[in-house]
Amino acid sequence: MLDSTSVQRHDDGNYQRLSIQGSMSVQPQDNTQWEQALTFIAVDRDKQAYSQLFSYFAPRLKAFGLKMFGNEQQAMEMVQDTMLNVWQKARLFDASRGCASTWIFTIARNVRFDMLRKKQSRKDELSADDLFFDGDYPEQEGTDSNEWDLWLLAEKVAPHFAKLPPAQRDVMEKVYLEEKSHQEVSDELSIPLGTVKSRIRLALDRLREAIDDPRS
Amino acid sequence: MIHAVKYHPSVELLEQYIEASLAPELSVAIAAHLDLCPHCQRIKMDLEAEAGVALAALPQAQSTETDWQQMLDFITAQPEAAAQQKQRQPFAVQIQNSEILVPASLRPLLKDKLKWLNLGGISTAKLAGEDQHNVSLLYIRKDSEVPQHTHLGVEITLVLKGKIYDESGCYGEGDLLINTADHTHTPRTMSEDCLCLSVLTAPLKFKKGLTRLLNPLQHLFY
Repeated sequence: MLDSTSVQRHDDGNYQRLSIQGSMSVQPQDNTQWEQALTFIAVDRDKQAYSQLFSYFAPRLKAFGLKMFGNEQQAMEMVQDTMLNVWQKARLFDASRGCASTWIFTIARNVRFDMLRKKQSRKDELSADDLFFDGDYPEQEGTDSNEWDLWLLAEKVAPHFAKLPPAQRDVMEKVYLEEKSHQEVSDELSIPLGTVKSRIRLALDRLREAIDDPRS
Repeated sequence: MIHAVKYHPSVELLEQYIEASLAPELSVAIAAHLDLCPHCQRIKMDLEAEAGVALAALPQAQSTETDWQQMLDFITAQPEAAAQQKQRQPFAVQIQNSEILVPASLRPLLKDKLKWLNLGGISTAKLAGEDQHNVSLLYIRKDSEVPQHTHLGVEITLVLKGKIYDESGCYGEGDLLINTADHTHTPRTMSEDCLCLSVLTAPLKFKKGLTRLLNPLQHLFY
């Protein structure tokens, strides 16, 4: 089980050493401890960092496995396979794409999928690695999501735009019509960057709902 | 005007997909749609992040200290695996005398030579699946109509190339049509050929006159 002293002790060790090398600045117990742990595992095969990650995630993965499989043996098989992948493939973790917990979830999901497939002794080509791509999709010419949103706004959403709550409409106008960056909007309206982002998200959701197709 | 995907899977369906609780054959269609749709790629990432947060917040399930320690020792005794991020590029396949780019997630299903069955303006080649679930390619020549049919289960059609029309609209590259037992529809093409991925969770049931005769054949057909 993880306790705060073990985190502290760990921070005083490897984390400090690496930050002296300038590769990373670290505050003890910040909310990126697992992302950092994965980096140390990838770079140094750091068993101490791994063992802390293990203490936190293995019992939770077991709870997840029990929920999904309904039995102890398969749950533990899933935990072991998942945590083995974490140890062996830590290099594939990319903090710019998401949290450690997201990555670990996707591994557990894939392990479970392949276990179920094997149990049904399906010999076809459907494997979790192919079905659940974990990585950056190639940029698509002319269809990245910003343009999709722009297109959406231009073609479909204009009539609904006026009905947005004023605070959201303000942010949307600055970002999409005046093409300002989120940071610029945050400065201009004196609101936190996170609020700019969440207002955009909420507005897009509203607009999406407004034009929602009965099929989907 | 750039083409933008207009018909997407519902968030609920994407949720089942990222949890792997969807039938694998249906997941193929969702994975191929994701290859074509940056909008849903982002929702997928958001949903996986939420699932990760939920995982990290689960109460711990107990095992003995010895069990955990044994597992930990076993794992850390293993060497690092050569792990490479997979490439995710569309690839070209030869289909009905033309070269067509298809989404990367279909690659493992297209290793073998395709066996096409032709019927009027429509050709079909089975990619995977058994029993109630079936993944196939559907090539519909221009100005052709798929006989009106309903479904006993769910039919997912993903347009890979060209356009297809039915009673509810026009679907282009990347668009995902989902039809359930409640829908009757007559998909057709207009001025261009169309390639679709079709996933069926149960056999189709044709409705009209002579095409009823197709019913006994349709295990071959789809």
